[in-house]
Amino acid sequence: MGSSIAQKRLFHEYKNLSTNPPEGITAGPVSEDDMFYWEALIQGPEGTPFEGGVFAAELKFSKDYPLSPPTMKFVGGGVWHPNVYPNGTVCISILHPPGDDPNHYEHASERWSPIQSVEKILISVMSMLAEPNDESPANVEAAKMWRERRAEYEQKVRDEVRKGLGL
Amino acid sequence: MADDEPSVNIPSLLTFAVVSFFFIRWFFNRNDAPAGRPRGRGNAVDPAQVEQIAQMFPQLNTREIMWDLQRNGGSAAATTERILNGQGLETPPPSFQPQIAIRSPTTMATQATSAAAPKVDGQDLITRYNLSSKIASENGADASAATTSSASSWSQNKEERQRLLQKRRDDMILAARRKMEQKNHEN
Repeated sequence: MGSSIAQKRLFHEYKNLSTNPPEGITAGPVSEDDMFYWEALIQGPEGTPFEGGVFAAELKFSKDYPLSPPTMKFVGGGVWHPNVYPNGTVCISILHPPGDDPNHYEHASERWSPIQSVEKILISVMSMLAEPNDESPANVEAAKMWRERRAEYEQKVRDEVRKGLGL
Repeated sequence: MADDEPSVNIPSLLTFAVVSFFFIRWFFNRNDAPAGRPRGRGNAVDPAQVEQIAQMFPQLNTREIMWDLQRNGGSAAATTERILNGQGLETPPPSFQPQIAIRSPTTMATQATSAAAPKVDGQDLITRYNLSSKIASENGADASAATTSSASSWSQNKEERQRLLQKRRDDMILAARRKMEQKNHEN
């Protein structure tokens, strides 16, 4: 019963994202046979070292979506970023359920709730690429580089952007 | 002599069959009983669900949440859907006495945290989506319809939708690649 509500909602979001896609975002289920597994493409925001790049991520939804948030993970090439784990998993507040705040710095309003959506997640991730959150690094190495050796960080990101496009 | 002591006779077979029938029936009923919990007059409300919804919608009254959960058979998803639809929750009758169930395994436990991360190979998007042939053909046609703006796309047909999504995805990657290549030439 719960899962059909989730499916209906996901289908609805899929339709909205297709008919009215936000700039630089493409997202949808890998196959409509499984509405709980999506893939998304995000364009690197302009004016950042991620500019010009396209990043693929998978989104996994639980059967009680939208009560609990999906998980999001960049696939393919790595994304060198303080808030992305080395395995690609994205760590931002909108992906954390409201009850659970291990770091005690996130406001409840920034966290997941059923009034959020896939679109809002992807837009948040886009702005996360532009502005890393230094408070709780998921990739300590990247965070350190971003803080202390910015030029090197940006060069590494640019290299990965090109690699991601097969260049 | 063999007739006097048959190892298996009809009455004992029958007795065995009847006894096993009742045993099997008891066995399955016993398993069924707890499974039927959320339906019917499952009066008890799961406090974890109440708390979950109360956290998401702090403006709501706990009694109203419990009333709605009890009436829809304990579906937090249905209650949330109802709140989000703007229907709001009904005020429970004064006679409503919420019963709180004590149930340890919360429904939240089924989160998709299959963290067993498969290998992140340094695979680029061209390989991942098998786009190398398209790049080749594109170079031949020299990017004629360079930016066939892949704006809104939706179809009533499932396969067509799938195809449109794939096309938007491929176009996005190829366009980015083209742009990046141009930039390289300029430099």
